[in-house]
Amino acid sequence: MKKIINAPETYVDDMLKGIYAAHGDQVKYAAGDLRCYCTANKKPGKVAIITGGGSGHLPLFLGYVGDGLIDGCGVGGVFQSPSPEQIYNIAKEVEAGAGVLYLYGNYTGDIMTFDMATDLCDMDDIECKSIVGADDVNSHADPATRRGVAGIYFMFKAAGAKAEQGGDLDAVLAAAQLAKDNTRTVGFALTPCIIPEVGHPNFELKENEMAMGMGIHGEPGVWNGPLKTSREIAEEALDTLLKDMPVAEGEEVALLINGLGATSVEELYILSNDVTQILKAKGIGIYKTVVGEYATSMEMAGASISICKMNEELKGYLDYPVNTPFLCQK
Amino acid sequence: MDKILFEQVPELFASVGALFVEKKEELCEMDAKLGDGDLGLTMSKGYAALPDLMRAEAEGAGGDIGKMLMKAGMKMSSLVPSTMGFLMSTGVMEGGKALKGKTELDGAALADYLTGFAFGVQKRGKCEPGQRTIYDAVLPAAQAAKAAVESDPSASLKTVIEAALAAAKDGVEATKDMVPVFGKAAVHAAQCKGVADQGAVAGYYKILGLSNYIINQ
Repeated sequence: MKKIINAPETYVDDMLKGIYAAHGDQVKYAAGDLRCYCTANKKPGKVAIITGGGSGHLPLFLGYVGDGLIDGCGVGGVFQSPSPEQIYNIAKEVEAGAGVLYLYGNYTGDIMTFDMATDLCDMDDIECKSIVGADDVNSHADPATRRGVAGIYFMFKAAGAKAEQGGDLDAVLAAAQLAKDNTRTVGFALTPCIIPEVGHPNFELKENEMAMGMGIHGEPGVWNGPLKTSREIAEEALDTLLKDMPVAEGEEVALLINGLGATSVEELYILSNDVTQILKAKGIGIYKTVVGEYATSMEMAGASISICKMNEELKGYLDYPVNTPFLCQK
Repeated sequence: MDKILFEQVPELFASVGALFVEKKEELCEMDAKLGDGDLGLTMSKGYAALPDLMRAEAEGAGGDIGKMLMKAGMKMSSLVPSTMGFLMSTGVMEGGKALKGKTELDGAALADYLTGFAFGVQKRGKCEPGQRTIYDAVLPAAQAAKAAVESDPSASLKTVIEAALAAAKDGVEATKDMVPVFGKAAVHAAQCKGVADQGAVAGYYKILGLSNYIINQ
């Protein structure tokens, strides 16, 4: 394992200290706990949006905390859930009189954490509602059982914009739900990643192999086999995406080409080009293309392709400006 | 004893903690076969810490047992952040909710606590009876405790906990014939036949720990 660290046990907290040191004007932590990550720019009367999940996915999850997006993030150990008390302490810090929306990925540990945090907030009469991202088409046939991956980007954008536009808790939840209903993702991995405290790769792939459908924690996908070309990968991914969520000729999508951590931006644009060509050939419009790292798996190589079917409401949310230490859109 | 006072409640749970420390290896061994092997650690770590967590909340709770349990249960969840840890801490919190405003525990209040605890486990675990889980021990225990109070509203702590303990024991026995739905056990269902569910055993020990305190006082 070659990593720039001091010790595996301090991986998460050292990273957080670095973020607070660099961006102390934009973010802070609550309750004396580095892992209770909050915006430093609290907006009175706004619905507070809180996410959380394991470390190892930057800029997911904490990178979305900031103007135009969300307000707080519970930071777990690498691939581990934060604790209910941490979420509760974040809620107490960022709640601004209009209730709290919990928006996070569909994983058992995180669900228990946020459900417990809801109970804790209940004791203080802080109103909380929850919604999970579950966009990974290949993770399960049943949409309710699917894992949440990069497509949560669109949910953060929609909910964040709606909250800043003054929407109440139900309206912010509805905006997140609208993005969720229209978003699908397919991902694939080329190499594994190493959890610092484990010290060895979390799965094995032969030199010339890829894993189609693999999750962002190395959960098994739909097939492992010889590496395909960018064009072939794009074709298979779009087949899967459009079979699951048909998009008619003449309709528009937003496209998110996300790198998993060790794949170059050059490669992401090669993939983006192929996805764009195929969509064009099908007569599907592309309202906006976003290329870069939005949900990673440390140094895993690979990428994910997300599409979000557009309507006027979602276009408005997507165009809404954001400013966080990790994401800026004017 | 006919009632447990506010300041005695941490001692009641210290008895549970002591039992889990004693049973740690046994539970871990059972869990290694059909779970992820850390059940004994979770139970002993969580319940051994609970009395001090309660004492730390005692002042803020101002004599309200329910409030003390709710706050201490929350702290417990941070100490044991795993599925079983969350089930236990939710149980303690919901048990506390059922005791809101109570300054002492009698037989009826104990039954309320056990009922709240079982409700918490069900709510957090989204489990049903018969799925070979801890719920199959704590639900019958709660039902038996409630029945004891219904047949005699002034039932003693001893009467209530004995009814709960006997029902939990029967509940553990019944899991031997249940088909597992959750976790590693579900994958190795064939190996579960005739073996009691380790989670249900842990649920039984929880009640046995309460019982040890009540009977020995």
